[in-house]
Amino acid sequence: MADQRSLWDQPEDQPEPAPASAPVRAAPRILRVTDLNRRVRTLLDADAVLADVWVEGEVSQPSFPGSGHCFFTLKDASSQLRAALFREELARAVVRPAHGMNVIIHGRVRAYEPQGTYQLYVDSITPAGAGDLHARYEALRAELAAAGLFDERHRRPIPRWPRRIGVVTSPVGAVWRDITNVLRRRYPLVELVLSPSVVQGAGAAPTLVRALQRLYAQEGIDTIILARGGGSLEDLWGFNDERVVRAVAAAPVPIIVGVGHESDTTLADFAADLRAPTPSAAAELATPDGTQLPTILDRLRDRASAALIGRAEQRRLLVDAEGRALVQLAPDIGAARQRTADLLDRGWRAVGDRLGRRRLLLEGAHDGLRTLSPFATLERGYAVARTAEGRILRDASSVAAGDPLQVVVARGTVETRVERTRADGSEDLLS
Amino acid sequence: MIDDAKLAVLTDEELARHPFDELVAALQRTVQGLEAGNVGLEESIELYKQGLRLHAACETRLREAELTITELGRRGAAPEE
Repeated sequence: MADQRSLWDQPEDQPEPAPASAPVRAAPRILRVTDLNRRVRTLLDADAVLADVWVEGEVSQPSFPGSGHCFFTLKDASSQLRAALFREELARAVVRPAHGMNVIIHGRVRAYEPQGTYQLYVDSITPAGAGDLHARYEALRAELAAAGLFDERHRRPIPRWPRRIGVVTSPVGAVWRDITNVLRRRYPLVELVLSPSVVQGAGAAPTLVRALQRLYAQEGIDTIILARGGGSLEDLWGFNDERVVRAVAAAPVPIIVGVGHESDTTLADFAADLRAPTPSAAAELATPDGTQLPTILDRLRDRASAALIGRAEQRRLLVDAEGRALVQLAPDIGAARQRTADLLDRGWRAVGDRLGRRRLLLEGAHDGLRTLSPFATLERGYAVARTAEGRILRDASSVAAGDPLQVVVARGTVETRVERTRADGSEDLLS
Repeated sequence: MIDDAKLAVLTDEELARHPFDELVAALQRTVQGLEAGNVGLEESIELYKQGLRLHAACETRLREAELTITELGRRGAAPEE
């Protein structure tokens, strides 16, 4: 809104000196309304104080027409002044003018020629007394801390190898440039998703929240950076807005907040998973150090080489060891072979010596074995009775009258049937 | 995540399409497998070759990496200060 003053605006109508032979009274110089208003405007524009003025007063009857601008009356106990707050300045303002609000305004006073009025053109409006802002900051901090928004346990670790990083900041200005520069140098493998936002003043809060939510709706974002350059408490006020703080706390993925310089701490910082002292630091904290990656990769390759060489060496040592073991075994083999030969010789001799006696022993043993054989028992007059299923019959009660039986005797088998069974009788064999 | 069992049949182009962090992770697993020492010499040589391929793929990705930037809807964007 810093209008350039044109030549057209320059004072031009200097009063002309009265001619020497003038009548007693010069005719009055008659100005057009437009000329008069222009003259007033020129006068006001030339005043250094009015061009750069701080004024304190109370807001009265603010109006917000569809144009997005805001018009109100600024007054004190005895006087009042029209004020205009244009859309751009309104969006960046820490406070929205409200009836009865005490404010400190910076701006310039200019004439509005079409209506012959003068008004205060506002470029910054803050609540009267910065103490108010500090008090609001502390009160909100206590309230949100009590609500658990700043709890340590909510803090999540930042992904070590991000593929997509979302950034909420102003797309113009040093901060975005710093972030992209850091990542180009440090980890250009990452994809940046910029969700642009206004970051200046209290008016930034709604767009900050919208920008964050746009990122939250994106698939595959690993980490989010919320960043802004340094500034006064008023400049940073959007990051102390409860809506923004709550949106940060609700981030579905880890979020790093890097606002201002090291000394600036906003409430959004407290709600973040990680607080970075500056926007550049946020970019660094979000990524691995790519300049170290070639070294890390080479170290991995070297470890692979060392492991392979180690394996081959191990194998060679093993073969060596087996070879030595064989050499050490060799004399034993000779001795063993000798011992074996000796034993065989002695064995054959012993066998030769004892063969006759052995044969006698074997025949005796054979007879002994024969007496244990069932055939010998049958030969002695015993018989074996078997059921139809081939079971040897030991218990009379396990068969019934009419069951077939096979009675095996020393020579041949008798096929028969049970007449009847008795529990007694086995002792008869002894009588 | 890269399927280690299928690493050997992937072409270099297919390998290069995997995210960088997966390539590094696969390289780390390969090195650990080699170091664990419970594989035979022949298998060790195969693992080593695989490690070299992964290392080369990582290096290529690093060398050719260029920061990509996507911008979401421009509404609400305004200059800072």
